[in-house]
Amino acid sequence: MSLLRVNDLTITFGRRRSVAVDAVSFEMGAGQRLGIIGESGSGKTVTALAVMGLLPETARVSGSITLDGHELVGMPDSALARLRGDLMSMVFQEPMTALDPTMRVGRQVAEVLLLHAGRSGDSARGQVIEMLVRVGLNDADRVADSFPHQLSGGQRQRCLLAMALINSPDLVICDEPTTALDVTVQARVLSLLDEVLTAERAACLFISHDLAVVSQVCTDVLVMLEGRIVEAGPVARLFSRPEHPYTRGLVATARIGDVMPGQRLPTVEDFYRREAR
Amino acid sequence: MTGDALFEVTDLVRRFGRGGRVHALDGVSLQVQRGQRLGIVGESGSGKSTLIRLMAALDRPTSGSITFEGREITALAERDLGFLRAAVQLVFQDPRSSLNPRMTVGSIVTEPLRAAHLRRAMDAVDPRQRLREVLAAVDLPSDAAERYPHEFSGGQRQRIAIARALAPAPAVLIADEPVSALDVSVRAQVLNLLAELVDAHGLTLIFVSHDLAVVRHLCDSVIVMRAGRIEEQGSAEQVFAHPKAEYTKALWAAIPRIRTDG
Repeated sequence: MSLLRVNDLTITFGRRRSVAVDAVSFEMGAGQRLGIIGESGSGKTVTALAVMGLLPETARVSGSITLDGHELVGMPDSALARLRGDLMSMVFQEPMTALDPTMRVGRQVAEVLLLHAGRSGDSARGQVIEMLVRVGLNDADRVADSFPHQLSGGQRQRCLLAMALINSPDLVICDEPTTALDVTVQARVLSLLDEVLTAERAACLFISHDLAVVSQVCTDVLVMLEGRIVEAGPVARLFSRPEHPYTRGLVATARIGDVMPGQRLPTVEDFYRREAR
Repeated sequence: MTGDALFEVTDLVRRFGRGGRVHALDGVSLQVQRGQRLGIVGESGSGKSTLIRLMAALDRPTSGSITFEGREITALAERDLGFLRAAVQLVFQDPRSSLNPRMTVGSIVTEPLRAAHLRRAMDAVDPRQRLREVLAAVDLPSDAAERYPHEFSGGQRQRIAIARALAPAPAVLIADEPVSALDVSVRAQVLNLLAELVDAHGLTLIFVSHDLAVVRHLCDSVIVMRAGRIEEQGSAEQVFAHPKAEYTKALWAAIPRIRTDG
């Protein structure tokens, strides 16, 4: 049985009903790593927010999203809130805005635990420290007692990862989790993510504009363009033999290392001409 | 000073904060030759942006010297910097914040031509003709001049910023992460455009980036910075093929590459 099933999902915004996501369908099995790639405005983040039930009130959603047999479209917010952080969780791009600047991070991680597991504060501390150690924060005690601004970008992103994983969710959604980080920090956070997802046996929906990053983390990919899925397949096939012209363009531009220095770089337009909008 | 050095930077130090606790730049020396394409790479906090801000005289060093075409620029008053402002132009990371949303593209692009202390340093040019030339050079439609920045996509906005930089016919173009804020699908176009313009106008390019692959593609020489110091410098070929500093090797190894082995 699939863990997440998205069927004919359509999302429109505002009075003009502009279409952000257009009849999107896909499935994820337990423990699967699925990447979504596409440029800004392609609908990848809106799709993720719809799964999390975090769309703004101006959004209209039709179609179906089921997670572990629960239908999420139309589910009351109080019921969704119980699933969020428990069955599914999310890691955002910018840890400085995702964390509360006025609260020590240990308490923020503990909050997730207390809200869902109904544990008392004392036993939570031990679990929080243990989780922080598992995401590679060796001085977990000091980190837990720090405010977000006292930590580096990489440490903050590890804290978010700890928050996302502490309730052992079945699905973790990562939206550009390493885009704001330096390359050496990114490499460490990605390998850590790979490790903890494997250990927790959690499925991951991984959104990124960076094809190389997606190929490192995921086994399968969806390519989104203007609200639609234009191509889907296993990472190994899609990045070596892309079929849709847009995907071929994306892959060609991402392979900058294959171009002789000084030569003209291939562009997406060389492969795919979009109609004027 | 050797040959044709445009910029000569000697032992540059810039400290910030109370008592100068933060050493943003800590004794940096380098030369930029005419026609060179210099890439400056490093992670956040390495001092790469501080360095180019000092070279463009947007900030003043704590100590050290910078000469441009043989003239010391670190002690000059703004009114005497016209020659530098006309000859050295910048393109910043995010065109949404570097373009004034309330000005038309035409007035944004010709603004450098109207600045009094730049005009003194330049040959007389007809702003309208120059506007047409530079808009054409960056492949923007000629009716772009009457429109506002928000009417353009991210890639087009960066073209507007490049057109503005070209307007005073500079000798040096400094680009600070010019494609980092752009969608992957348009990055290659903007990089191709930069390469073409540098060729066509014989520009000297100083290209700041955290992306080693882009620098390797565009530049003929590289400086690797870390914590306010230069870790390694040399030709692009040598730095990327045979990096000497451990830090360069680590940076190079950390770049994610497309994996197709499943």
